[in-house]
Amino acid sequence: MKLNKIAKVVLIGCSILALSACSSKHKNSGYDATGMNDMNTAGGAQASGAGNGQSYGDDGSNGTARGLAKRTYYFDFNSYVVRDEDKPAVLANADYLVAHPRAKIILEGHTDPRGSREYNVALGEHRANAVFDMMKGRGVNLNQVRIVSYGAERLATPGHSEQDFQLDRRVVIVKSQG
Amino acid sequence: MRKLITMLFLGWGLILSNPVFAYLSMELTRGVAGAVPIAVVPFSVGSATPSQNVSDIIANDLKNSGRFKVYGGNAVSKDMPTSYYRSIGADSVVQGAVREVGGGRYEISFKLLDTVKGKEEGDATPLVTKQYVVPENELRAVAHHISDLIYRQMIGVRGVFSTKLAYIVVQRSAGEAARYTLEVADADGYNPKPLLTSNDPIMSPAWSPNGKQIAYVSFENKHSSIYVEDVATGSRRLISDFRGINGAPAWSPDGRKLALVLSKDGSPNIYMMNLATKQLTQATHDWSINTEPSWSRDGRYLIFTSNRSGGPQIYQKNLATGAITRLTYDGNYNARASFTPDGNHIVMLNQESKLFNIGILDLDTSTFRVLTNSSGTDNESPSIAPNGSMVLYGTLYSGRSVLSMIASDGSVQVRLPARDGEVQDPAWSPYLS
Repeated sequence: MKLNKIAKVVLIGCSILALSACSSKHKNSGYDATGMNDMNTAGGAQASGAGNGQSYGDDGSNGTARGLAKRTYYFDFNSYVVRDEDKPAVLANADYLVAHPRAKIILEGHTDPRGSREYNVALGEHRANAVFDMMKGRGVNLNQVRIVSYGAERLATPGHSEQDFQLDRRVVIVKSQG
Repeated sequence: MRKLITMLFLGWGLILSNPVFAYLSMELTRGVAGAVPIAVVPFSVGSATPSQNVSDIIANDLKNSGRFKVYGGNAVSKDMPTSYYRSIGADSVVQGAVREVGGGRYEISFKLLDTVKGKEEGDATPLVTKQYVVPENELRAVAHHISDLIYRQMIGVRGVFSTKLAYIVVQRSAGEAARYTLEVADADGYNPKPLLTSNDPIMSPAWSPNGKQIAYVSFENKHSSIYVEDVATGSRRLISDFRGINGAPAWSPDGRKLALVLSKDGSPNIYMMNLATKQLTQATHDWSINTEPSWSRDGRYLIFTSNRSGGPQIYQKNLATGAITRLTYDGNYNARASFTPDGNHIVMLNQESKLFNIGILDLDTSTFRVLTNSSGTDNESPSIAPNGSMVLYGTLYSGRSVLSMIASDGSVQVRLPARDGEVQDPAWSPYLS
């Protein structure tokens, strides 16, 4: 009977999936590299929404430390010039680092999603470097700061309005574990 | 029956813990004027019950190429003389059969007939006729191979129905951080398989020339690093993990080197890494942004994006002489360029006024043409098919990132919406067989 045959195929598919899930590797760093021959698409439909309007929530809102001033700085389109109104906060954060030579931070550079992805990674790095240059001028040690650019890969917001793009163009100070 | 339900629930539970598949579908949104009319008669299967409908796959392949007007499925009667198919408008007809031969294997036989040249009933000249015996799990592959043969016969160009697409799926669920998957699927979107799932961004997938490996950028170490992963086994090695940017990997045509972008020496420059020795050769040496390298087919040139003249434009370096020349002058932003297979054009991302478009530059005449100017939205990440006929790229549709394809002369448009997640940063595989 046809139903039995379908049931058999699904059963076998689920069993193979069970085996592959048990054998999947390296979950410790939150990544999982599987080859095409490991995974069997048994047609399992995974229901998951695209999550509209959610906070992406991973830019500088974690690890609040006493003594750090404002930690997110916004940039004009295609620009990597630190705005005048952000300079006091940058310098205050620099002063904190000078006073705490064992403290380390990451400067994350970001862009809005328009244009080419790898070019945006370079642009994001320029933005982070601009903040870093100000801090270096204030006496911060080179090994206290690491520069990471995510380009347009970690957008602050999923929208595509000019206001959304402005929120994406940013440098964020993140406390580093070392 | 109860046991079956229990097993099904167990299966579903495990599926949910696995990465999200994008489940791409294909929608032809524009085909060529004067498409080739062809009838694809449903293959006779007799008492066999194959899990795939081979003639349906062939009909969809040809239809979605935008270059065929397909009479198929219920629109054509089976077992008719070729004059019948000629009478409904088809110049050619595909007929075939699928037969079980035991051991879970099937024999597929097919004929491509020209309905016009045959003078009498049953006198049509077979253009192609072939037979294959394959296991059940290769039925789709054989169907795509038959589509390739038909395409080559009728269009005169090698088909790409047996190639694959790599792309990044981004899954954003309510209240959770984004999840990223590097996925590979058949050229028609079927059989998605994850190569890497991660809580951190993945970008810039690049197929090796033999299609067996993919290089990519991963942020899993909390900064960008380049990995090379074996497509079949999933085993991978870390290739580049310098301080600063590690980006934009691009394979040399002989597969021995990766061009890549490193900012370890102060600003983003292009280097070439010998994959066997890990030795680096620096290709650009200045303080501008230099990124997105891509090789010419003969390995003698690198084209790349550089903002040395103000905004991003495409430059070409002669690797023997070291001379660098600017290639693009249309628009204020040109980036992410790659050569077409014939070496006569480059495809790139271009902006002239507001929107980002996919453009193509004729290197002989220096004529530039925008391909996507009717999309009304920003586009990104062009990747050309190995037969040069179509460009795969990312675009927005109803506010979500989806993949699309457009013919290199703009005549055919295909959309590949994903059922789950947002899809971006695609790469078309080379020929795989």
